[in-house]
This record gives sequence, structure tokens and C-alpha cells, in this order.
Amino acid sequence: MTTTTQNTTPETRKPPTAPVFSVEGLWKVFGPKAHRVPADPELTALAPAELRSRTGCTAAVRDVSFDVRKGEVFVVMGLSGSGKSTLVRCLTRLIEPTAGTIAIDGEDVRAMDKSRLRELRRHRAAMVFQHFGLLPHRTVLDNVAYGLEIQGVGKAERRQRAAEVVAKVGLEGMEHRRPGQLSGGQRQRVGLARALAVDPEVLLFDEPFSALDPLIRRDMQEEVVRLHREEGRTMVFITHDLNEALKLGDRIALMRDGAVVQLGTPEEIVGSPADDYVREFVRDVPREQVMTVRTAMRAASAGEQGNGPAVAPDATVSEAIEAVARAKAPARVVDEGRCVGVVDSEALLEVVAGTAKETV
Amino acid sequence: MATITAPTPRGLPAVLRNRAVAKLALLVLAAAILVPLANARWASGSWPAALTVDVSEPLTTASTWIIDNRDSHPLFLYFFGHISNAVVVCVRAVYLVLLAAGWAGVTAAAALVAWRVTGLRLAAGTGVAFLACGFLGMWIPTMQTLALMVVAVLASVVVGALLGLASGLSDRMDRALRPVLDTMQVLPAYAYLLPVVLVFGMGVPAAVLATVVYAAPPMARLTALGLRGADKEVLEAVESLGATARQRLLTARIPLARKELLLGLNQTIMMALSMAVIASVIGAGGLGDRVYQALASVDVGAALTAGIPIVLLAVVLDRVTGAAGERLGDEPQPNGRARWVYALTGAVAVAVAGRLAGRLDWPDTWTLNFAGPVNRAVDWMTDHLYSGVPVIGGTADWAAHFTTWILDPLRDGLQWLPWWSVLLIVATLAWLIGTWRTALTAVLAMAAIGVLGVWQPSLDTLSQVLAAVAVTLVLGFATGVAAARSDRVERLLRPVLDVFQTMPQFVYLIPVVALFGVGRAPAAAAAVVYALPAVVRITTQGLRQVDPAAMESARSLGATPAQQLRQVQLPLARRALLLAVNQGVVLVLAVVIIGGLVGGGALGYEVVFGLAQGDLATGLVAGAAIVCLGLMLDRVTQPTERRAKKGA
Amino acid sequence: MRLRTTAVVAAVSSLALLTGCGAADMTKQTSPFANAQGARTVTLSVQSWVGAQANVAVAQYLLEHELGYRVDTVQIDEVPAWDALSQGRVDAIMEDWGHPEEEQRYIKDKKTIVNGGDLGVTGHIGWFVPTYFAKEHPDVTDWKNLNKYADRMRTAESGGKGQLMDGSPSYVTNDKALVKNLGLDYQVVFAGSEAAQITQIKQFAKEKKPFLTYWYEPQWLFKKVPMTEVKLPAYKEGCDADPEKVACAYPHTPLQKYLNADFARNGGDAAALLKKFKWTTEDQNEVSLMIADQKLTPEEAAKKWVDSHESTWKAWLS
Repeated sequence: MTTTTQNTTPETRKPPTAPVFSVEGLWKVFGPKAHRVPADPELTALAPAELRSRTGCTAAVRDVSFDVRKGEVFVVMGLSGSGKSTLVRCLTRLIEPTAGTIAIDGEDVRAMDKSRLRELRRHRAAMVFQHFGLLPHRTVLDNVAYGLEIQGVGKAERRQRAAEVVAKVGLEGMEHRRPGQLSGGQRQRVGLARALAVDPEVLLFDEPFSALDPLIRRDMQEEVVRLHREEGRTMVFITHDLNEALKLGDRIALMRDGAVVQLGTPEEIVGSPADDYVREFVRDVPREQVMTVRTAMRAASAGEQGNGPAVAPDATVSEAIEAVARAKAPARVVDEGRCVGVVDSEALLEVVAGTAKETV
Repeated sequence: MATITAPTPRGLPAVLRNRAVAKLALLVLAAAILVPLANARWASGSWPAALTVDVSEPLTTASTWIIDNRDSHPLFLYFFGHISNAVVVCVRAVYLVLLAAGWAGVTAAAALVAWRVTGLRLAAGTGVAFLACGFLGMWIPTMQTLALMVVAVLASVVVGALLGLASGLSDRMDRALRPVLDTMQVLPAYAYLLPVVLVFGMGVPAAVLATVVYAAPPMARLTALGLRGADKEVLEAVESLGATARQRLLTARIPLARKELLLGLNQTIMMALSMAVIASVIGAGGLGDRVYQALASVDVGAALTAGIPIVLLAVVLDRVTGAAGERLGDEPQPNGRARWVYALTGAVAVAVAGRLAGRLDWPDTWTLNFAGPVNRAVDWMTDHLYSGVPVIGGTADWAAHFTTWILDPLRDGLQWLPWWSVLLIVATLAWLIGTWRTALTAVLAMAAIGVLGVWQPSLDTLSQVLAAVAVTLVLGFATGVAAARSDRVERLLRPVLDVFQTMPQFVYLIPVVALFGVGRAPAAAAAVVYALPAVVRITTQGLRQVDPAAMESARSLGATPAQQLRQVQLPLARRALLLAVNQGVVLVLAVVIIGGLVGGGALGYEVVFGLAQGDLATGLVAGAAIVCLGLMLDRVTQPTERRAKKGA
Repeated sequence: MRLRTTAVVAAVSSLALLTGCGAADMTKQTSPFANAQGARTVTLSVQSWVGAQANVAVAQYLLEHELGYRVDTVQIDEVPAWDALSQGRVDAIMEDWGHPEEEQRYIKDKKTIVNGGDLGVTGHIGWFVPTYFAKEHPDVTDWKNLNKYADRMRTAESGGKGQLMDGSPSYVTNDKALVKNLGLDYQVVFAGSEAAQITQIKQFAKEKKPFLTYWYEPQWLFKKVPMTEVKLPAYKEGCDADPEKVACAYPHTPLQKYLNADFARNGGDAAALLKKFKWTTEDQNEVSLMIADQKLTPEEAAKKWVDSHESTWKAWLS
């Protein structure tokens, strides 16, 4: 099973570059004599329950492969128990994988020795945790500076750098509080700042916002979007919340029982689910907010070339609906000054109703 | 390949019931085979003589050898001698510092430290407590006890923390240490005295070392618990930032465990104080010795005069370390360091002022002698309460009735039971409540008592323990239920319980002699008083922690308070109640043993005898029997859930 | 790593410095509380009975007020006190009832303890019944008739037999063997401490109940509760040699003082005073009674006695 399918649609947002993380055939099996499981084709073919009763082992991650490209937000999505948290921990070997390869910038992570691995964790990948993982006995500032302290950065310098990051995540004035005195959202900002302070190549998020209230969660999501826009840092984001995944992800890997069932852009996932499980999963998604007009448009007839409002090809359907409704006429899809197609109200309605053919 | 079937929760009660029945059936089977065999071979009500091993001979030889070689053998000259010397040097150094600071300096320093660690109220309390020690004419003994305590607590903390660190970081060490520490926790303080005396002789070094052995285990346990209980995600976060093992330990694991560490310090201090007092029996000097001396002349007033400073010290130390633990995580006060400097400067200034004024020793004229009034009150009590009180009878009559109607039948009954049936009962109880492992430990411990040849006195002690536990539980559960149902009762009880719980075991002996005379009844009474606070507290907590939703639903169904208690609270608080039983048994045993000093007889008497006559063989055998008895009682009352929980 | 090694070396060497390199003889270590702040300190062992407290109280008073010493008292039972005395943790025992085994070991073999002379008091252990009971039943004072009264002496503790009350486990006693060898229908009940025993005796006396108790002279309690001794088979030299087969009375023992050998040599005035300390049974009882019955502190009691017996103690100081 390979999920590193190249996008068939023209990728307009990001040009493909060399992957930051490259994962190939990754397995993580918990249980006695875990190593025999990935090696034995008979066992790998078993369903989870059967595997458990036969061997006493649980495969948290089953033969997962994907690339994380530079500068993208890569979301791993799945319900609890789907193995997504184990997967992200395997990336920096917080959990030791059972089989498969992981490479960061082409370097084999599984072959790293202790000091090299520490180097990786210190400088190249920093993680944000679901329950924040803050040190309760330290102030906000010292928590943020903790990663630098571990690297051996001097006190004055690390405090100064930490103060900058604290400001960046909007916690000015709270530098000397303890985590216990902060709200959940503020705590997670500290967690985020701690990860940012070491200026890592990749940020790993492990369900960072699932412990937060909905309103605060939205704030934090926007914060991440903003940071990504400003810094363009590569992010791997774990979540069980489909809306969050669709909102943040450039690409989404959907996991079930340890395996990736579909990998693609939000639009691909919503527009053409790989199987019934995914279809069921995305059923209630407001499609008009995910699908772009590119999938809904048809070729423009000659008469339509010059008329009607113009929308960009990666505008969402809901934006197009607004334009069409206002103009009371089909909208032109304009890419770099050229009209590539037209969306009319029927096409848009079909998307909303979910009756449009799965195009992607 | 093994197949693993997960038990379904629905089937659990049935499985449990079956399991209990299966256990019983198995035991009956084993008994049916073994008992006739054992009975035919060694038919006797008491432990068969053929199965005892006489250890007193080699023990006497060993103890004589030690006394004869203590000043010449290299083992003593180059090892124990240095330990003993180090203890003496340290205690002396602390003592001299305390004396040099003078009473004003010590009081000021203690109050200022309390102020910095906790707050103004406790600082005032601390100051008053120290001054009270002076007013009672107990300044010098207080300082001696304090010096001994400081050294013993520091040593206990270092030893305990190191052991805890080892057991917190290494699973193998944990597996090896945990049962040992758990067991040491339940042993009566008295059992620790003898081996130390054997090696070091009477005096301060032996007292300090016995204290360390007694007080270090809680520190070790809590350190390990803190290290193991650290928030996994925090540790993962630290790991994810690339911390080395050492960084992880120093910047995360230890600071994360600081609440447990402080709690360990608190418990260590309390146990050290309790032991430092008991160790007066082996020449610790200080306050404990004054209590011990007063006890010898039935001088309740003098005993109280020395006992009050002990209680004050205990309460102050408990509150200050406890409050320090609670204040963890608060926002650090601004310029905290500067205030520490002020505090220390203040203390030094007062000490210097005291020195210049020539007022180092507590002035003799400032003492308050209240032994007289107390003794008059006690005399009045013995005159009027002791006997001949109309209707309810005097305390002596109660003691006599308790002895005749409860203690005697219980003892005679236990001693009448054939030895194998005692083992069988122990096995049944332990197995029903715990696992086959706990049952095995309990039976082996009980059998060891027989092998040591102290079967009869042990059963005598056991009968006292059982009687005292029964009284404790009845009173404790009743009070606990009352306190759980009424906030006012709980508010009234809390300070009383606090004081009673911090009081060293020794202090309880004085009033009970005055009230109940001599014998097993006063020993049992002292044990009841000592164990009651813990039982009441655990019961109250257990009942109060019952899920409010369950209570609410019971109320909404119209249950009466009695029904609520019987059908909801008590079943749901079952685990707390079991814990209360366990604690009650352990605490009662500790005091029943000390009851040897007031005529409790049996094992306690033999330990006292061993110490008093220098007949360490008798004492050590009795001490070992106490250890076995403690082990057995703990295992028999220890539900498995508790073990499982602790193993997490 | 190097840091750790350095730390270990430093710790070990400082420990070595602290304890003095080489051998450390713990039998030569004094109490950490002795001689603090330049004061000359004498440490006296107090045994648990009040007579011994009386000796110590008077000695302490004189040492403190006449000679300017600071006196520490430590309560240690008799046999361990010998050990402590030998180690120098205690400087003197003021009253000893005879411990041949320890005398052999510490005085003759190790020479760490020396005899400090007679206390002037003769001790005697025996079985006693209250005089009010002996007057009613004069024949109770012969051991042969004790079984006749076993019923009267019953208590809850002794069960079906008569009660013979013994005191502190630290006291010399053959009572269990005696009861067995004389064929008495009695149960030995240990009060566990002298305090407990006295309390019990007083309670019995208040209700004029009969009782049989192990007791000893000199004892102040005779003034409060007059007691008559029960005659046991007469004491002959060596009849108590085998503790299992004893069937005779306890001997009369001239009570002795013992001093740590070093203290006796270098103790100056204090050692001299303690060697000369010698008084009578009446003196001791007077002080004991003040302490135990009038509940004076030992110091107050000693002061009272010292104020009224100047001629006696002046002789000890010369």
C-alpha cells in the first residue's frame, strides 16, 4: 500500500521540493516479540483483532509511507487509537519504530546514534503536546527558554531569545507567571513558544488544541495559520478534528487502525474519498468551504468569456456562490488574467448537495 | 501461540465469587491433607517443640563476642567506630551551634525561617512554641533532642533520597527495594532498637542510627513515588527537546517530584521525632529521657512537662514542612531572596545580642512549674475516676472488665487453638483478601514465630492487638461517620486529631497508667488512643470522597440518612475503610509493644527485658517475632487493590 | 566525570579528617552533649527506681552548686549502664545491686570501670504483703502458707491463680523459678516498670485489698504502704547459683558505686565527691519520699535534704 501518490491535479499553492521527512514502510508494533510481526507476511495481512489474539501484539502504525515537503502543513488525521500520536513520536524516535525507514533531509533517523539523535531533537524538530508538557515549577519565560538551556545557551541570551518568542505568541506581561496560573490557551501558547524558541526546521504538533475550549481552539488555529504564513516553517500536525485538519492542512493523511487510508489535499479527501470509511467521515463537511471552483467549473462557452464576476481557481465554492448570487450570473474562473472556465449556480449547487461527480 | 482472553467486566463479580470459593476449596483440600499429618506428628495445642530452633545460644555468644571485641576488633575500630564517631561529632557540632546561638537566637532563627517558608501566623506559633519549651524548664533537653533530630533527619533524607533515586530510576532496584521498604513501614519502632544497640552499645550513636533506619524508608518510598509518578507528557516534552539523561533528572524529574520530596521530608521528620523519643530507652538523652525518667516515678506532671515540648516541636515541624509543600507552585514573591537575607540577618543579630547580654542559657527564674497542679489534677482523677464511680464504675473497673471479659478469653482462645489451625486461619484471611503471595508471606511469618519459640507470648500480644483494634475500629468508624456527616464535628475534631497524630507514641503511656493502672488493659488503651486519629481521618475522608452523584441519586430516590450511609456511602468507601483497618492494626501493634513498659507483658515485655538486662538474645528473638507479627498482620489486612495501585 | 571523582575524593578525605584517620575506638567516645561550652560536665546514670534518683539528685545538686559542674543525667537500665559506663558515655553509677558477670568483665578483664565504694545502704529483695493483711492473717508471712491465700490474691491479670506482682524487667528476679520450685499456686505478673507497680500497690492499699508483691528495701513506699516480708527458705551462699533451680530467699546486698576508670583518675573534685558519697537508708528514703510522694522535683528534694544535713555532705567535699 503506497500513499505517496503524486497529486494529479496541478499544484498551484506550493511547488514540490525535496521532502523534509520521508517515511517509508513504517511499523510500530507493541507487544511481545514485536519484531516478528512486520517481517512475517502472514501476520501483516491479519486484521488488528486477529493479530492481537494470535500474537498478543498491537500494531499502532502499520506500513505507513509519506513525505513531508518543505514549507507545508502536513496533517495526520484519525480517530483516537488510529495510531497518529504514535506515528508522530516515531519521527524523532520518542517511540522507537519497529520497522521501516525515516529520513530527515535525506539522513536516516533510525541509524542515528544517541548524540546525533539529541542534535535532531534539539535543533531540527520541536514538538507541541496535547497537554502542554510544561514544567510546573518554572516561570513562563524559563519554560520557553528550557530548550535553549538544554542546548547549553547562556542565561542572558536564552532569556532574551525566549522573551522575543513569548512576545511573538502574544504572552507579553506573563513572563513571570507559573503554568498553573495560566488558562489552557495561554499554556498552549507557552508550549508553542517553547518549540519555536529553538528555531526548529520542523514543528510537530500532537493534537495541540484538543484540550481547549472551541473558541480558544479557533484562536489558536488562526495563530498557527498566521505563524505559518509569516515564517513558512514546515509543520506536521496531528489532530482528530476533521475541520481542524481541513482548515490547516496543505495535505492530509487520514489514518485508521494504524494505516493511512487516504493521503491528499483537503479537496481531494472531501471531493473524492478513497473508500466508504473516508466518505462516511467527510459526509457532514460543509463542502462548499473546502471544494474549490476548479473542481466545479466547466469549460466556458464563447459567450461567457467576458461576462460575469471573476473568481480565482482556488477560491472556495462558497465564495463563488456569494459572487454568483450577487451577480445573478455564472462566474468566470480567472487564472493569471485568463479565463479557464465558468461556474454557474447549478454546478455550485451540485457541489453543496454532494451530487457532483468525484472529479479528483 | 498463546491466546489471551480479556475478562469481560460484566462477568467479573461471578468470576470473583468463583475465585473466592475456589480459594476456599483449595485451602480446605490442603488442610484436609496436611492437618491430620501435622496433628499426628506433632500433636500439641501450642507450637510443637520439635519444630523450634533455639537461637538464643548463638545470639548470646554473638552479643558477648561483640561486647568483648568492641574495643579491639578491626571491624569495630575501622568501620563502626568511624560511623559512631561521625555521629558524635555531628551531633555535638549542631548542639554547640544551638547553645552558642542561645535561646533568643534559636527562637528567632526558627521563627524567621517559619516566616519565610510559610507565613506570619506560623512564624508566631513557632516562636511561641520555642519560648514555651524554655518556660517549661526544658530548654537544654529540647536543644539536645533538636541536635539529635537535625543530624538524624539529614542522614535519613540523604539515605532515603539516594535509595529512592535508585528505586525511582531503575526498575530492578524498585522490585528489590519496594517490598523491603513497604515492610519497614509497618514495623513497630521498638523492633529497630535492638540490633543497633547490639553493635553500637547504649548512647547517642545508636539512637541516631536507629532513628535513621526508622525514618529513612518513607523518604525513599516517596522519592521513588515522585520520580515514577511524574507527568509522562512533561518527561516526553523534555525528551523531545533533546535533553540528556542527566538534564532530564535534574531539570525535570526531581523538580517534578518536589511535592513528594517535601512530603517525604515531612514524614521523615515526624518519624524521626517519634523515634528520637523512643530511643531514650537506649540512651538518646534529651526530652525523651525526661519523659522516660518521669514515667519511672509515676510523675505525670513531670512527664507532661517534658512531653509538651515534644508535641510542640512535632506540631511546628509538621506545620512548617506541610505548609511549604502546599505553597509549592504559588507565584514566587518579589524579592524573595532579599527577604531571606533579612531573616537570616535578623536571626544572627538576635543571637549576637543575646550573647552580648550574657543571656545564652535560659534564665532559671523564667521557668513555669506546672507539674504540681497537673499532679494534683491527676491525683484527683485517680481518686475519683479510678474506682467506685456510681453506675458506670471507675476506670480501674473498666480495665478489669476489659481484661476479664475480652483480653483473657481472646488470649486463652488463641493459645488454646491448635497451632496448625492458627496458620490455617491466617492463610484463609490473607488469601481471601489478597493473593496467594500475601497469604504465603503471612503464613511463613506466623510459622517463623513458632520456630523462634515465642509462640505463646506472640499469641498473647496478638490477642491484645485484636482487642485494641476492635475497640479502635468501633470508636473510629463511629467518630468518622459522625465527622463525615457534620462539618461542625469535623471542624472540632480536626485540631484534636492533628495534635494526637503528631504526638510521639511514648507520651500516651503516662495518662493511661494513671487511669487504668497496670496490665494489658492500659497498654491496649494507649494503643487505641494512638491509632484512633488515623482511623477517624481515613474513614472521614473515605466517606466524604464518595461520588456526590451517587449520593445525590440516593437522596433523589428518597433514601433516609441511615439508608444512604448503609447502602451507598459505606460500600463505596470500602477501600478507605479497609485501609483504615490496615493502618489501625499497624499503629496498634506499635503501641501494644511499647505497652511492655506498663505491664502489657508478652513480646513487648521481652523486648524491654532484653534491653534492660542486656540480654540481647531474648530481645532480638522477641524483636524478630514482632517483625513477623507486624508482617503477618499487614498482609492479612492488606487488600490487593492497594498493592496494585502502588505498583502503577 | 572528573567533577564527580573530585567530589568523592573530597568527601572521603574530609570524612577521614573529621573522624581522624585510622582506628576509631567507639568505646572511648563520650556523649556528644558532655562538656559543652567549656563547662565541666559529669554524666550520671539514673536507674528507674526512685532510690537511685535520690542518690543522683543529691549528687547532682552538690556537683552543680558546690563544685560548679554541669550534670547530665541519663536513664539507663542496670546492665546496659555498665556497658555505657565502660564506654565513658556515663561517668558514674551511684547504686548497683550486684552484677558479678559485669564486674568480672569490666573491672577485672577490661579495667574500664573501678569500684567507687559503698553507698552506705544495704539492699534487700523479698516478697511482701501489706501489713494490714499480715496483722489479720499472721501466718501469711510464711511461704508455706501462701497457697492458702492464693484465692484472695487473685486479679484479672493472674487468672485462676494468685498474683505475685513483679516490677520492672530490669530488676534482678528469680520469682518465676521460685514460684515453680516452691510449688506455689501463683502467677507472676510483670508490671513492666516500677512506676506501674507502685501505682498498683497504692491502689490496692487504698482499698485495703490483700496483695503479694516483689519488693525491696530501702524503699520510700514502706512509709506510705507498710508492708511485711514473707519468709522464704533462708538464703545460703550459692543457693541462687542456678537460676532454674533457685528455691531460697534473696541475699542482703551492700549497694556499691561504680566509676568509669578514666573519670576516676581524671575526674578531679567531681570524682572525689562521688567516691566519698555515702549516706544511710534513712537519708535516701527521705529524699525518695519527697520526690515520689510529695512530687517535688529531684532538685527541690535534694535542696531540702542538703539544707538540713550539712554535716553529712560536708564530709564528702573535704
